[in-house]
Amino acid sequence: MSAEITKVGIISCSGEAIAEGTISRLATRRVLELLRPDVTVTLCLPLFLAGNDAERNFARTHPTITIDGCPKQCAKWGTEQHSGPVNAALVVSDILGTEGAACHRSARDASQVDKEAVWAVAESIAAEVNNVLAEATPVDAAEAGAGHCACSSPLPGGKLNIKGKSINIPGLPLILEQCAERGISSDGTALLDVVKIYHAVDPEDEAEYKIALMQAYQAFRSGLRPAK
Amino acid sequence: MRSERKENPVLVVPCSGMGKVHGLISREAAYLVTDELAPGKTDTLCLALLVMGDAEAVDAVRSHDCITIDGCAKSCAQKNVEMAGGRVAKALQVADAFRNYRGAKPGNATTLTDEGWAITRDIAQDVARESERLCASEEVAR
Repeated sequence: MSAEITKVGIISCSGEAIAEGTISRLATRRVLELLRPDVTVTLCLPLFLAGNDAERNFARTHPTITIDGCPKQCAKWGTEQHSGPVNAALVVSDILGTEGAACHRSARDASQVDKEAVWAVAESIAAEVNNVLAEATPVDAAEAGAGHCACSSPLPGGKLNIKGKSINIPGLPLILEQCAERGISSDGTALLDVVKIYHAVDPEDEAEYKIALMQAYQAFRSGLRPAK
Repeated sequence: MRSERKENPVLVVPCSGMGKVHGLISREAAYLVTDELAPGKTDTLCLALLVMGDAEAVDAVRSHDCITIDGCAKSCAQKNVEMAGGRVAKALQVADAFRNYRGAKPGNATTLTDEGWAITRDIAQDVARESERLCASEEVAR
Protein backbone atom coordinates (compact mmCIF):
# COMPACT_ATOMS: atom_id res chain seq x y z
CA MET A 1 0.00 0.00 0.00
CA SER A 2 1.54 3.30 -1.01
CA ALA A 3 1.34 6.48 1.05
CA GLU A 4 -1.96 8.27 1.10
CA ILE A 5 -2.02 11.67 -0.54
CA THR A 6 -4.62 14.17 -1.56
CA LYS A 7 -4.01 16.42 -4.52
CA VAL A 8 -6.65 18.59 -6.06
CA GLY A 9 -7.00 18.44 -9.83
CA ILE A 10 -7.55 21.79 -11.51
CA ILE A 11 -8.89 21.70 -15.03
CA SER A 12 -8.94 24.91 -17.03
CA CYS A 13 -10.98 25.42 -20.19
CA SER A 14 -8.16 27.59 -21.66
CA GLY A 15 -10.65 28.69 -24.33
CA GLU A 16 -8.65 30.15 -27.22
CA ALA A 17 -11.40 32.34 -28.63
CA ILE A 18 -11.80 34.65 -25.62
CA ALA A 19 -9.56 36.56 -23.23
CA GLU A 20 -11.23 34.87 -20.27
CA GLY A 21 -9.88 31.57 -21.60
CA THR A 22 -6.35 32.93 -21.35
CA ILE A 23 -7.09 34.17 -17.82
CA SER A 24 -8.38 30.71 -16.85
CA ARG A 25 -5.16 29.11 -18.13
CA LEU A 26 -2.80 31.61 -16.48
CA ALA A 27 -4.67 31.62 -13.17
CA THR A 28 -4.51 27.82 -13.07
CA ARG A 29 -0.76 27.96 -13.73
CA ARG A 30 -0.39 30.55 -10.95
CA VAL A 31 -2.05 28.20 -8.46
CA LEU A 32 0.06 25.23 -9.62
CA GLU A 33 3.33 27.18 -9.51
CA LEU A 34 2.93 29.64 -6.65
CA LEU A 35 -0.20 29.49 -4.55
CA ARG A 36 -0.78 25.76 -3.94
CA PRO A 37 2.12 23.95 -5.66
CA ASP A 38 2.25 20.95 -3.34
CA VAL A 39 -1.41 20.04 -3.38
CA THR A 40 -2.53 20.65 -6.96
CA VAL A 41 -2.14 18.91 -10.32
CA THR A 42 -3.67 19.53 -13.71
CA LEU A 43 -4.71 17.80 -16.91
CA CYS A 44 -5.28 19.20 -20.38
CA LEU A 45 -9.03 19.18 -21.01
CA PRO A 46 -8.71 18.05 -24.67
CA LEU A 47 -6.84 14.97 -23.41
CA PHE A 48 -10.12 13.52 -22.15
CA LEU A 49 -11.06 12.68 -25.71
CA ALA A 50 -7.61 12.21 -27.20
CA GLY A 51 -6.22 10.27 -24.26
CA ASN A 52 -6.83 6.87 -22.73
CA ASP A 53 -8.85 5.50 -19.82
CA ALA A 54 -6.24 6.49 -17.22
CA GLU A 55 -6.57 10.11 -18.28
CA ARG A 56 -10.35 9.97 -18.44
CA ASN A 57 -10.29 8.57 -14.92
CA PHE A 58 -8.79 11.83 -13.64
CA ALA A 59 -11.78 13.20 -11.74
CA ARG A 60 -12.50 9.82 -10.19
CA THR A 61 -9.05 9.75 -8.61
CA HIS A 62 -8.71 13.43 -7.69
CA PRO A 63 -11.04 15.92 -6.06
CA THR A 64 -11.44 18.30 -8.98
CA ILE A 65 -12.03 22.01 -9.54
CA THR A 66 -12.85 23.34 -12.98
CA ILE A 67 -12.15 26.89 -14.10
CA ASP A 68 -14.06 28.12 -17.12
CA GLY A 69 -13.80 31.32 -19.10
CA CYS A 70 -17.46 31.68 -19.97
CA PRO A 71 -20.88 30.40 -18.88
CA LYS A 72 -20.76 27.57 -21.42
CA GLN A 73 -18.55 25.85 -18.81
CA CYS A 74 -16.84 23.43 -21.17
CA ALA A 75 -14.31 22.39 -18.51
CA LYS A 76 -17.04 21.54 -16.01
CA TRP A 77 -19.35 19.71 -18.38
CA GLY A 78 -16.46 18.06 -20.24
CA THR A 79 -14.92 16.77 -17.03
CA GLU A 80 -18.22 15.47 -15.72
CA GLN A 81 -19.09 13.85 -19.04
CA HIS A 82 -15.79 12.05 -19.47
CA SER A 83 -14.40 11.69 -15.97
CA GLY A 84 -16.91 12.18 -13.16
CA PRO A 85 -18.46 14.85 -10.92
CA VAL A 86 -16.37 17.90 -10.00
CA ASN A 87 -16.08 19.32 -6.48
CA ALA A 88 -16.26 22.97 -7.49
CA ALA A 89 -16.76 24.92 -10.70
CA LEU A 90 -15.57 28.51 -11.14
CA VAL A 91 -16.32 30.84 -14.05
CA VAL A 92 -13.92 33.69 -14.87
CA SER A 93 -16.64 35.97 -16.17
CA ASP A 94 -18.51 35.56 -12.86
CA ILE A 95 -15.39 36.41 -10.84
CA LEU A 96 -14.26 39.38 -12.94
CA GLY A 97 -17.61 40.73 -14.08
CA THR A 98 -17.22 43.43 -16.72
CA GLU A 99 -13.46 43.77 -16.01
CA GLY A 100 -12.87 40.69 -18.16
CA ALA A 101 -13.78 42.71 -21.23
CA ALA A 102 -10.57 44.74 -20.85
CA CYS A 103 -8.34 41.64 -20.85
CA HIS A 104 -6.40 40.23 -23.81
CA ARG A 105 -6.04 36.81 -25.40
CA SER A 106 -2.31 37.01 -26.15
CA ALA A 107 0.52 37.55 -23.66
CA ARG A 108 1.98 40.02 -26.21
CA ASP A 109 -0.84 42.42 -25.37
CA ALA A 110 -1.06 41.75 -21.64
CA SER A 111 -1.41 44.82 -19.42
CA GLN A 112 -1.74 45.53 -15.72
CA VAL A 113 -5.46 44.78 -16.05
CA ASP A 114 -4.65 41.27 -17.25
CA LYS A 115 -2.18 40.70 -14.42
CA GLU A 116 -4.69 41.79 -11.80
CA ALA A 117 -7.37 39.61 -13.38
CA VAL A 118 -5.07 36.57 -13.23
CA TRP A 119 -4.33 37.22 -9.56
CA ALA A 120 -8.01 37.67 -8.69
CA VAL A 121 -9.00 34.43 -10.39
CA ALA A 122 -5.98 32.54 -9.01
CA GLU A 123 -6.86 33.59 -5.47
CA SER A 124 -10.43 32.38 -5.99
CA ILE A 125 -9.12 29.01 -7.16
CA ALA A 126 -6.71 28.78 -4.21
CA ALA A 127 -9.54 29.50 -1.78
CA GLU A 128 -11.57 26.76 -3.42
CA VAL A 129 -8.61 24.37 -3.14
CA ASN A 130 -8.62 24.98 0.62
CA ASN A 131 -12.34 24.26 0.81
CA VAL A 132 -12.00 21.06 -1.20
CA LEU A 133 -9.02 19.82 0.82
CA ALA A 134 -10.90 20.42 4.05
CA GLU A 135 -13.58 18.00 2.89
CA ALA A 136 -11.48 15.57 0.84
CA THR A 137 -10.81 11.95 1.68
CA PRO A 138 -7.18 10.95 1.06
CA VAL A 139 -6.73 8.60 -1.90
CA ASP A 140 -4.13 5.97 -2.57
CA ALA A 141 -1.03 7.40 -4.25
CA ALA A 142 -0.83 4.69 -6.89
CA GLU A 143 -4.46 5.16 -7.81
CA ALA A 144 -4.11 8.95 -7.91
CA GLY A 145 -1.13 8.59 -10.22
CA ALA A 146 -3.32 6.89 -12.78
CA GLY A 147 -4.57 10.23 -14.07
CA HIS A 148 -2.20 13.06 -14.76
CA CYS A 149 -1.26 15.49 -17.45
CA ALA A 150 0.92 13.83 -20.05
CA CYS A 151 2.55 17.08 -21.01
CA SER A 152 3.52 17.92 -17.44
CA SER A 153 5.23 14.59 -16.87
CA PRO A 154 8.71 13.61 -18.01
CA LEU A 155 8.61 11.69 -21.26
CA PRO A 156 9.27 7.97 -20.80
CA GLY A 157 12.82 7.33 -21.94
CA GLY A 158 14.73 4.49 -23.54
CA LYS A 159 18.33 3.31 -23.27
CA LEU A 160 20.99 3.25 -25.98
CA ASN A 161 24.41 1.68 -25.59
CA ILE A 162 26.97 4.31 -26.60
CA LYS A 163 30.68 3.56 -26.22
CA GLY A 164 29.92 0.94 -23.61
CA LYS A 165 27.72 3.25 -21.55
CA SER A 166 23.96 3.05 -21.16
CA ILE A 167 22.52 6.46 -22.19
CA ASN A 168 18.92 7.46 -21.44
CA ILE A 169 17.15 9.16 -24.36
CA PRO A 170 14.04 11.07 -23.21
CA GLY A 171 11.00 10.10 -25.27
CA LEU A 172 12.79 7.37 -27.26
CA PRO A 173 9.71 5.09 -27.53
CA LEU A 174 7.61 8.01 -28.82
CA ILE A 175 10.38 9.08 -31.21
CA LEU A 176 10.59 5.59 -32.70
CA GLU A 177 6.81 5.40 -32.91
CA GLN A 178 6.64 8.74 -34.75
CA CYS A 179 9.42 7.66 -37.15
CA ALA A 180 7.50 4.48 -37.93
CA GLU A 181 4.26 6.44 -38.48
CA ARG A 182 6.07 8.86 -40.80
CA GLY A 183 7.56 5.99 -42.78
CA ILE A 184 11.16 6.91 -41.96
CA SER A 185 13.37 4.03 -43.08
CA SER A 186 16.14 2.48 -40.99
CA ASP A 187 18.44 5.34 -41.90
CA GLY A 188 20.73 6.24 -39.00
CA THR A 189 21.12 9.85 -40.12
CA ALA A 190 17.36 10.44 -40.30
CA LEU A 191 16.81 8.82 -36.91
CA LEU A 192 19.63 10.84 -35.36
CA ASP A 193 18.15 14.08 -36.72
CA VAL A 194 14.90 13.36 -34.87
CA VAL A 195 16.65 12.34 -31.64
CA LYS A 196 18.78 15.51 -31.70
CA ILE A 197 15.63 17.62 -31.40
CA TYR A 198 15.14 16.23 -27.90
CA HIS A 199 18.62 15.17 -26.81
CA ALA A 200 22.07 16.77 -27.09
CA VAL A 201 24.53 14.55 -28.98
CA ASP A 202 28.27 15.13 -29.02
CA PRO A 203 29.39 15.27 -32.70
CA GLU A 204 32.15 12.76 -31.89
CA ASP A 205 29.51 10.24 -30.79
CA GLU A 206 27.18 10.61 -33.77
CA ALA A 207 28.43 7.50 -35.59
CA GLU A 208 27.81 5.39 -32.48
CA TYR A 209 24.38 6.92 -32.02
CA LYS A 210 23.42 6.11 -35.62
CA ILE A 211 24.30 2.44 -35.18
CA ALA A 212 22.53 2.21 -31.81
CA LEU A 213 19.45 3.99 -33.16
CA MET A 214 19.21 1.73 -36.20
CA GLN A 215 19.36 -1.29 -33.90
CA ALA A 216 16.73 0.19 -31.55
CA TYR A 217 14.48 1.11 -34.48
CA GLN A 218 14.74 -2.35 -36.02
CA ALA A 219 13.94 -3.89 -32.65
CA PHE A 220 10.99 -1.49 -32.23
CA ARG A 221 9.59 -2.42 -35.64
CA SER A 222 9.94 -6.07 -34.70
CA GLY A 223 7.71 -5.42 -31.72
CA LEU A 224 10.40 -4.99 -29.06
CA ARG A 225 10.24 -1.89 -26.86
CA PRO A 226 13.47 -0.01 -26.06
CA ALA A 227 14.91 -0.81 -22.63
CA LYS A 228 13.80 1.64 -19.93
CA MET B 1 -21.21 29.70 -41.98
CA ARG B 2 -20.64 29.71 -45.73
CA SER B 3 -20.21 33.48 -45.94
CA GLU B 4 -17.97 33.30 -42.87
CA ARG B 5 -15.80 30.76 -44.65
CA LYS B 6 -15.09 33.17 -47.49
CA GLU B 7 -13.77 35.71 -44.98
CA ASN B 8 -11.85 33.31 -42.72
CA PRO B 9 -11.24 30.13 -44.67
CA VAL B 10 -8.68 28.65 -42.31
CA LEU B 11 -9.12 27.69 -38.67
CA VAL B 12 -5.97 27.56 -36.56
CA VAL B 13 -6.43 25.19 -33.62
CA PRO B 14 -3.71 25.02 -30.94
CA CYS B 15 -3.68 22.49 -28.10
CA SER B 16 -2.84 25.14 -25.44
CA GLY B 17 -1.40 22.31 -23.32
CA MET B 18 -1.16 23.17 -19.64
CA GLY B 19 2.02 21.43 -18.57
CA LYS B 20 4.92 22.64 -20.66
CA VAL B 21 6.15 25.62 -22.65
CA HIS B 22 5.16 23.79 -25.83
CA GLY B 23 1.47 24.32 -25.04
CA LEU B 24 1.98 28.04 -24.54
CA ILE B 25 3.96 28.26 -27.78
CA SER B 26 1.13 26.56 -29.67
CA ARG B 27 -1.39 29.02 -28.25
CA GLU B 28 0.66 32.17 -28.88
CA ALA B 29 1.56 31.00 -32.39
CA ALA B 30 -2.15 30.75 -33.16
CA TYR B 31 -2.73 34.30 -31.94
CA LEU B 32 0.22 35.61 -33.94
CA VAL B 33 -1.36 34.17 -37.07
CA THR B 34 -4.94 35.24 -36.45
CA ASP B 35 -4.15 38.69 -35.03
CA GLU B 36 -1.02 39.76 -36.91
CA LEU B 37 0.17 37.61 -39.82
CA ALA B 38 -3.06 36.54 -41.48
CA PRO B 39 -6.05 38.36 -39.97
CA GLY B 40 -9.15 38.00 -42.10
CA LYS B 41 -7.87 34.77 -43.59
CA THR B 42 -7.60 32.83 -40.36
CA ASP B 43 -9.49 32.44 -37.13
CA THR B 44 -9.31 30.24 -34.06
CA LEU B 45 -11.88 28.52 -31.89
CA CYS B 46 -12.04 27.09 -28.39
CA LEU B 47 -10.73 23.52 -28.51
CA ALA B 48 -12.64 22.80 -25.29
CA LEU B 49 -15.87 23.74 -27.04
CA LEU B 50 -15.05 21.25 -29.78
CA VAL B 51 -14.19 18.59 -27.20
CA MET B 52 -17.66 19.16 -25.76
CA GLY B 53 -19.25 18.51 -29.15
CA ASP B 54 -20.72 22.01 -29.45
CA ALA B 55 -22.70 22.03 -32.69
CA GLU B 56 -21.34 25.37 -33.90
CA ALA B 57 -17.73 24.33 -33.22
CA VAL B 58 -18.21 20.97 -34.94
CA ASP B 59 -19.78 22.70 -37.95
CA ALA B 60 -16.87 25.16 -38.04
CA VAL B 61 -14.15 22.48 -38.26
CA ARG B 62 -16.16 20.59 -40.86
CA SER B 63 -16.66 23.64 -43.08
CA HIS B 64 -13.18 25.20 -42.76
CA ASP B 65 -9.70 23.98 -43.54
CA CYS B 66 -7.97 23.42 -40.18
CA ILE B 67 -4.34 23.75 -39.19
CA THR B 68 -3.56 22.20 -35.83
CA ILE B 69 -0.60 23.06 -33.59
CA ASP B 70 0.22 20.47 -30.92
CA GLY B 71 2.63 20.72 -28.03
CA CYS B 72 3.13 17.02 -27.37
CA ALA B 73 2.88 13.67 -29.06
CA LYS B 74 -0.63 13.12 -27.71
CA SER B 75 -1.70 15.46 -30.54
CA CYS B 76 -4.89 16.54 -28.77
CA ALA B 77 -5.69 19.35 -31.22
CA GLN B 78 -5.27 17.18 -34.29
CA LYS B 79 -7.13 14.21 -32.82
CA ASN B 80 -10.07 16.25 -31.55
CA VAL B 81 -10.52 18.02 -34.89
CA GLU B 82 -10.39 14.69 -36.69
CA MET B 83 -12.79 13.05 -34.22
CA ALA B 84 -15.25 15.90 -34.85
CA GLY B 85 -15.13 15.13 -38.56
CA GLY B 86 -12.98 18.13 -39.45
CA ARG B 87 -10.33 18.18 -42.17
CA VAL B 88 -6.81 18.78 -40.88
CA ALA B 89 -4.99 20.39 -43.79
CA LYS B 90 -1.76 20.51 -41.83
CA ALA B 91 -0.79 19.20 -38.40
CA LEU B 92 2.20 20.87 -36.77
CA GLN B 93 4.20 19.70 -33.77
CA VAL B 94 5.87 22.45 -31.73
CA ALA B 95 8.88 20.19 -31.07
CA ASP B 96 9.70 20.18 -34.79
CA ALA B 97 10.32 23.94 -34.67
CA PHE B 98 13.06 23.38 -32.08
CA ARG B 99 15.31 21.87 -34.77
CA ASN B 100 16.69 25.32 -35.52
CA TYR B 101 17.05 26.26 -31.86
CA ARG B 102 19.20 23.57 -30.30
CA GLY B 103 19.85 24.29 -26.64
CA ALA B 104 17.31 27.11 -26.59
CA LYS B 105 15.62 28.09 -23.34
CA PRO B 106 12.12 29.01 -24.52
CA GLY B 107 10.57 29.76 -21.13
CA ASN B 108 7.93 27.79 -19.28
CA ALA B 109 4.23 27.02 -19.45
CA THR B 110 3.43 30.54 -18.27
CA THR B 111 5.99 32.86 -19.89
CA LEU B 112 8.05 32.86 -23.07
CA THR B 113 11.61 34.13 -23.33
CA ASP B 114 12.89 35.95 -26.43
CA GLU B 115 13.98 32.56 -27.78
CA GLY B 116 10.52 31.18 -27.03
CA TRP B 117 8.93 34.02 -28.97
CA ALA B 118 11.32 33.43 -31.89
CA ILE B 119 10.27 29.78 -32.05
CA THR B 120 6.64 30.86 -31.75
CA ARG B 121 7.03 33.27 -34.67
CA ASP B 122 8.65 30.56 -36.82
CA ILE B 123 5.66 28.31 -36.26
CA ALA B 124 3.24 31.17 -36.90
CA GLN B 125 4.95 32.02 -40.17
CA ASP B 126 4.71 28.39 -41.22
CA VAL B 127 0.98 28.42 -40.43
CA ALA B 128 0.50 31.74 -42.25
CA ARG B 129 2.23 30.38 -45.38
CA GLU B 130 0.05 27.29 -45.33
CA SER B 131 -3.06 29.44 -44.81
CA GLU B 132 -2.07 31.55 -47.81
CA ARG B 133 -1.70 28.41 -49.90
CA LEU B 134 -5.07 27.08 -48.78
CA CYS B 135 -6.77 30.39 -49.48
CA ALA B 136 -5.19 30.52 -52.93
CA SER B 137 -6.33 27.01 -53.77
CA GLU B 138 -9.84 27.87 -52.60
CA GLU B 139 -9.86 30.92 -54.87
CA VAL B 140 -8.87 28.70 -57.79
CA ALA B 141 -11.63 26.23 -56.95
CA ARG B 142 -14.26 28.95 -56.79
